[in-house]
Amino acid sequence: MLLNRNRRGPQFYMLAAITGAVMVYLLVPLFFLIMLSFNESRWLAFPPPGWTTRWFEELFTNPSWLASIVNSVKVGFVVMILSLLLGVPTSFALVRGKFIGKTALNAFFTSPLIVPVIIIAVALYGLALTFGLAGTFTAFIVAHLIVALPFAIICISSSLMSFDESLEKAAMICGASKLGAIWRITLPSIRPGIFAGGLFAFLISWDEVVLAIFMATPALQTLPVKIWITLRADLSPVIAAASTLLIVATMAVVLLVLALRRPQAEQ
Amino acid sequence: MTQTLSKSRTNPQDQTAGRPTLLEVRNLTKRYGEVRAVDNVSLKVKQGELVSFLGPSGSGKTTTLNMIAGFDEPTEGDIFIGGKAIQGVSPHKRDIGMVFQRYTLFPHLTVFENVAFPLTVRGVGKNEIAEKVRAALKLIRLESYDDRRPSQLSGGQQQRVALARAFIYEPQLLLMDEPLGALDKKLREEIQIEIRRIHERLGVTIVYVTHDQEEALRLSDRIAVFNHGHIVQVGTGIELYEHPASAFVASFVGNSNFLSGRIVETQSGTCKVALAGGDTIIAQAQPELAAGSAISLMFRPERAVLRRAGEAQAHENRISGRVLESVYLGESVSHTLMTADGIEISIKQSSGGEQGSGLDFAGEAEICWRRDQTHLFPADAN
Repeated sequence: MLLNRNRRGPQFYMLAAITGAVMVYLLVPLFFLIMLSFNESRWLAFPPPGWTTRWFEELFTNPSWLASIVNSVKVGFVVMILSLLLGVPTSFALVRGKFIGKTALNAFFTSPLIVPVIIIAVALYGLALTFGLAGTFTAFIVAHLIVALPFAIICISSSLMSFDESLEKAAMICGASKLGAIWRITLPSIRPGIFAGGLFAFLISWDEVVLAIFMATPALQTLPVKIWITLRADLSPVIAAASTLLIVATMAVVLLVLALRRPQAEQ
Repeated sequence: MTQTLSKSRTNPQDQTAGRPTLLEVRNLTKRYGEVRAVDNVSLKVKQGELVSFLGPSGSGKTTTLNMIAGFDEPTEGDIFIGGKAIQGVSPHKRDIGMVFQRYTLFPHLTVFENVAFPLTVRGVGKNEIAEKVRAALKLIRLESYDDRRPSQLSGGQQQRVALARAFIYEPQLLLMDEPLGALDKKLREEIQIEIRRIHERLGVTIVYVTHDQEEALRLSDRIAVFNHGHIVQVGTGIELYEHPASAFVASFVGNSNFLSGRIVETQSGTCKVALAGGDTIIAQAQPELAAGSAISLMFRPERAVLRRAGEAQAHENRISGRVLESVYLGESVSHTLMTADGIEISIKQSSGGEQGSGLDFAGEAEICWRRDQTHLFPADAN
């Protein structure tokens, strides 16, 4: 009613103005950053005196930047796969299981969302030192899995919850075993939730910086860590280029999630 | 219509006489804590028979069906299919087909793949699957829908596909759990015809759960009436309607009028009943009801006739009442009357009968019915 196009009262214009202001507020830093990444000056000068793509060339040719991109992608993929391997059975237990303390367990599995990341980071750092894992690929995976898993579990559980269990019964009475019914009917039906969970897990790992800083060594850094460390040394526009890459890749994944969700919503 | 009406459901004993028992349920009990959802239920279903479980919700009919399917384990008792005990056998090994109340087509598969599913999991060859699915879709008249998704079908079409999916692998037993519950009346009747056609064509044994007595009467060879976890009566539609074993069955199957009274005298096969309203009624005596017992008397609305006050002397059993309302329903007229002691009685008269529409009754009238249309039940039971 308020936004009825045929009756644009003052409320409409006020809401439009507020919405516009919020959008500008959210997007200006990104816009600023993307401009800087094409900036000709070797300082982070604004407005840019001229335009160039040389910072992107440097990003993709400098071995240490390139290594950090590859590391981020690798860690992200492994975290995604492990999140699904652990998240699917966990979701089945949390949604289907009938046991005492289920609600508590549910809360427990989402607690990494509530506990401040810095606390997890400090705790993990201590553990990693004790077990000699500090600075290893494994340490990155373990750290990121902790914060990524809740997202995977939330996505998979919610689609499993909306899945009608009588479909599984129908499959069993048709001659499929319990596992066969889950494999042939349940998992394909909740596929959008599984995909979304996996992609979110990837994203969480992809732009996570606090845990990564604790786990990183000069030899093993993810892209956000590399940005952070470089930023402290100098203000090269390569940082802006790397950040732009981070944003673009993140947006691509988010769009993928949305595209995968739409067919589910239509059903 | 003529094809479907040609089969008489009125004489099912003749059709299934001498056939072996396919399904036997023996002393089946299911307890949830203190509650007995199903209490000592026993029943035999013959090969090729269509038996309905009829009862109000919570009467144990669906729980019994789920135990037959293997989704619920009985607390006590045994289930035999083809003479073999199936306790502990997983649902997918029971050779049972099932149609559920909710739409349970697999949403990510096409109609063809849905119907083919039971054959696919059994590892049947591609050509054989294609052939059988085509035949099944033809039987439910949805041949041209094979590549549609369930979401593109109407509710009635979905249930027909579910039916095809349930019978395609030729199970010995088909279970149907209120499969038409979510459909409107017209569609329901259409699919009832479909189910009867498939039952006749395939000769499959069907156990059909419903709370709709008309549906049970229309479809079934025999009906098992459930109440409070018990089977209270098993019989053909005629047996249940003409000879209800209890007041519950009388009120659940068909419409009924109840009056309370007391038996004052029994002799040579008849008994005299003194109604609470003061009238005396003659009924056929029942051995378990001795003189002095409090009873509940029942007669059917369409088995009674209305006469003007003072014109009913020829009728043996009659009570008087005041006509509250007469509604013309085309083929019949429905009257609501109130007796002197405040009990509402409904009477249904066919509209073209010798008494005319019966609409001209107003004020006081006599409700008359025959001795053999008078049913007596013990007053305390239900």
